Amino acid sequence: MLDWGTIVHYFPFLLKATLLTLKISLISLLFGFLFGLVAALLKLSPNGLLRLIGGFYVWIIRSTPLLVQLFLIYFGLPQLGIDLGPFMSGVLALALNTGAYNAETIRGGIISVPSGQLEAARSLGMGPALAMRRIVLPQAIRVAIPALGNNFVILIKDTSLVSTITLVELTLTAQRLIGSTYKPFEMYLMAAFLYAILTTTTSVLLGKLETRIAVERR
Amino acid sequence: MSSPDAESMQMIEIHNLKKNFGDNEVLKNIHFNVKKSEVVAIIGPSGSGKSTLLRCVNHLEEPTSGEIYVEGVLLNDKSLKGRAFQRHLNQIRTKVGMVFQQFNLFPHMTALENVMEAPVNVLKETKADAEKTARELLDKVGIAEKADSYPGTLSGGQKQRVAIARALAMNPDVMLFDEATSALDPELVGEVLRVMENLAKEGMTMLVVTHEMGFADRVADRVVFMADGYIVEEGTPAELFRNPKNERTQKFLADVAHADV
Repeated sequence: MLDWGTIVHYFPFLLKATLLTLKISLISLLFGFLFGLVAALLKLSPNGLLRLIGGFYVWIIRSTPLLVQLFLIYFGLPQLGIDLGPFMSGVLALALNTGAYNAETIRGGIISVPSGQLEAARSLGMGPALAMRRIVLPQAIRVAIPALGNNFVILIKDTSLVSTITLVELTLTAQRLIGSTYKPFEMYLMAAFLYAILTTTTSVLLGKLETRIAVERR
Repeated sequence: MSSPDAESMQMIEIHNLKKNFGDNEVLKNIHFNVKKSEVVAIIGPSGSGKSTLLRCVNHLEEPTSGEIYVEGVLLNDKSLKGRAFQRHLNQIRTKVGMVFQQFNLFPHMTALENVMEAPVNVLKETKADAEKTARELLDKVGIAEKADSYPGTLSGGQKQRVAIARALAMNPDVMLFDEATSALDPELVGEVLRVMENLAKEGMTMLVVTHEMGFADRVADRVVFMADGYIVEEGTPAELFRNPKNERTQKFLADVAHADV
């Protein structure tokens, strides 16, 4: 059965490690959103070269495993003289990865905005960039929020992969504690619980945001 | 740029305008002028090209060939490319208000914010100035009390009046109405037509694509009948409605009168 003594004793250590997981998640989320936004706009650009660049980024990321992307950046790049260190490498890999999925989500949101919205904006003398920023994107992001939230939750769980590049976040902390306690069940159970808290909080917050927007527009 | 004789100045001049969608010729060699303060109604069966003609006037449709001048300035100026052309378009569009059949209000903004949006972000007016003007315009179209409502809560007639206020906020020299009442429930048509009629009385230059024959008869200075991408016949409302010369016009008006019964 569960060793409650171990759980009570070690929970604070895991809770502290959760802070690093949270930090990695938030920074990757922010940059992942920006990468996604830029890639979505590239993919919708009238310029063929820009479309190609956006398309290539999304394709290469989505067709390769995150773990391989992470290793390429952390173990591979130093061979070319680019040593980002574990934290930067981890955040970059996660942001690039989630960014590719966000790109498709945001692009879908942009496409869903009726063409009349852009026409109305243009007929008022708004240029393409201004119309995109003020009229189309705010509506596109609202449409994309549920799917973006899904990407955010996946991102939080994927941060466990950076335990493989010596970042002592939640998963690696659990592993290390197992080394000294020989209590894998308790440790991984606590880690799972803490991940669930992070992801559920994210879902609830995004759900609230969705409701607020719906109410606001009523 | 502007004509020395302001009285005879053409607000819009269209020469040899053609528009194809693929192999489909929607506009075939259109010649057409609108004078300052003139109210022109464009009528005709669906598919006649009347909306396309209207949309060419602010370049929402790109003409296949021909020239369009707005206040003497060539709209589809082929010598301008890329950003320079966009700036040129934006400049002209600030002077050409457009009202759409489907309203196209910005759903994430209140009525007031809809009206303020372009004056603040395009004309760079201060928020205070833009809000003052916007409130006056909402009052003018009779929905001052809906200033803080989102479009989703408004009726079709209210939405269209906000859309008219939004276009007027740019202080345009000409207003284009693309079947502005066609998406409205019958009992809401009147409130929008009244706003349009008041605008006409104030001397606004208006180009109105419409199915409201009564409105065209009462308010327009000139009525243009289009069919199959041509201007078939044009004249004063009295000429066109009471004494149509062309067989197509006669048949169309007979069909419309029949539908009203």
